[in-house]
Amino acid sequence: MRSSFVLPISAALFLLAVLAHLGFFDWARLSRGFRNLGILGADMVPPDLGILPVAGAALWETVEMSFAGTLLGFLASLPLSILGTRRLFSRWVSSLARFIAAGIRTIPVLLWAIVFVILVGLGPLAGTFGIAAYTVGYLAKIYADLFEGTDPEIMEAVQSTGASKLQLVRFVVMPEAANAVLAQVLFMLEYNIRASSILGFVGAGGLGFVIQIYLQNLDYRRLATVLLLVLVLVLLMDGISAWLRKRFLLSAHAA
Amino acid sequence: MTLNGGAPAALHAERLWFSFRNHDWVLKDVSLAIPAGKHTVIMGPSGTGKTTLLRVLAGLLKPNQGQVRVFGQPTQELKSRELSALVGYIPQQLGLVRNLSALENVLMGALGRLADSKALFGLFPRDEMDKARAALEMMGIEHKGSEQVFRLSGGERQRVAIARTLLQHPRIVVADEFASDLDLALASEILARIRRAAEQERITFIMSMHRIGLARQFGDAVLALRNGELAPGFIGNEILEIPSIEAPV
Repeated sequence: MRSSFVLPISAALFLLAVLAHLGFFDWARLSRGFRNLGILGADMVPPDLGILPVAGAALWETVEMSFAGTLLGFLASLPLSILGTRRLFSRWVSSLARFIAAGIRTIPVLLWAIVFVILVGLGPLAGTFGIAAYTVGYLAKIYADLFEGTDPEIMEAVQSTGASKLQLVRFVVMPEAANAVLAQVLFMLEYNIRASSILGFVGAGGLGFVIQIYLQNLDYRRLATVLLLVLVLVLLMDGISAWLRKRFLLSAHAA
Repeated sequence: MTLNGGAPAALHAERLWFSFRNHDWVLKDVSLAIPAGKHTVIMGPSGTGKTTLLRVLAGLLKPNQGQVRVFGQPTQELKSRELSALVGYIPQQLGLVRNLSALENVLMGALGRLADSKALFGLFPRDEMDKARAALEMMGIEHKGSEQVFRLSGGERQRVAIARTLLQHPRIVVADEFASDLDLALASEILARIRRAAEQERITFIMSMHRIGLARQFGDAVLALRNGELAPGFIGNEILEIPSIEAPV
């Protein structure tokens, strides 16, 4: 057998074994699933629009949480990512900054939300901090890698004007990375809007609380309304970020 | 070591040896003295160590052996801001920040004189702004000041890079493969402007080039670098002269 086949064939065999272990080949169970999908779908229509005021308020809370959390996390990620840029700081400083970011990133956003519910109590404030924390861990890593990729020739040229480290960050590193920095914040905002709609499960505010109640009560017509609202929100966010990208990022592609 | 009747050399390199991580020598025992005001062009085939030599001369790379003195001061003993007051450097790709305007890029030449606090907010003193505009005007692109660099043409970018070093007020400017990408007429015009600016600001230029016509137009002296050694001799069919510069022993 040619060695180039070994990897794909072993990957395929491994996939089959894993699927069998997970119950993928339990046909009775799968067909029951399809039947239930039909029932669930039927139970969801027509969506109960009577809860729009309640769900709308929860939705707005979700938007507030994601927006504030993303911005706070973004602001905190900037100094951390700059400290994590090996080209600017010593190995010790940059490794420590990167280690902190990795530590924060290890904890999923839902766990962060639980931590902050313990720290600041139930409600959207805990969710906001949870989102901010996860955002810091993620953006600090992405940005540090991004800043490190700054064209060394530009760094050297501006350094040779006698510019200080801070001035280098302000006049070379940030402007050179500006487009990617903005693109990542927008991505993070979209991600956080989706993520924050489940933070209510642990009492951290937003839509999740409403979703959880309707789920527990098997109230699928009301659940359908909430899910539709989330869909509208995500589509709206896609539109806004597409507009922002076009407005601010397109010009850079001409370079 | 004195030249020109007692005036110290603007730049004096003494027995430079350089290698990257102890591989083969890139520079082998290079010595040269460049009198103030004597624009010098360094030529040589690619891969021969021109960029490395220029970076060592500009104080950006530390030679394994030997030293570079600028107006008598060893570059290795100078702090970054002290060095920047003496030597400006323009890399081959110019090192401009593409997302910033031409004027902002020129203003970066003043960073070595400014405290962090104000410059960080983009607040440059009025006189620096005036000087930056004057530098753009001297290079003939004052009308492009607010244009972002990535929108500028190749020739305009070269002018912005020169204007930035003019604002830095160094005594020497080291430029790598300057004007190499431009067509001959444009390169010639820009080099003529640089000579005028250099005389006005009393700056000595050291440039590497690969077009001998431009080298002769611009340089008061032309040096040849071959395999890391300074060699009077041939490039192609042309004989290079090294007028009035003697490599000190």
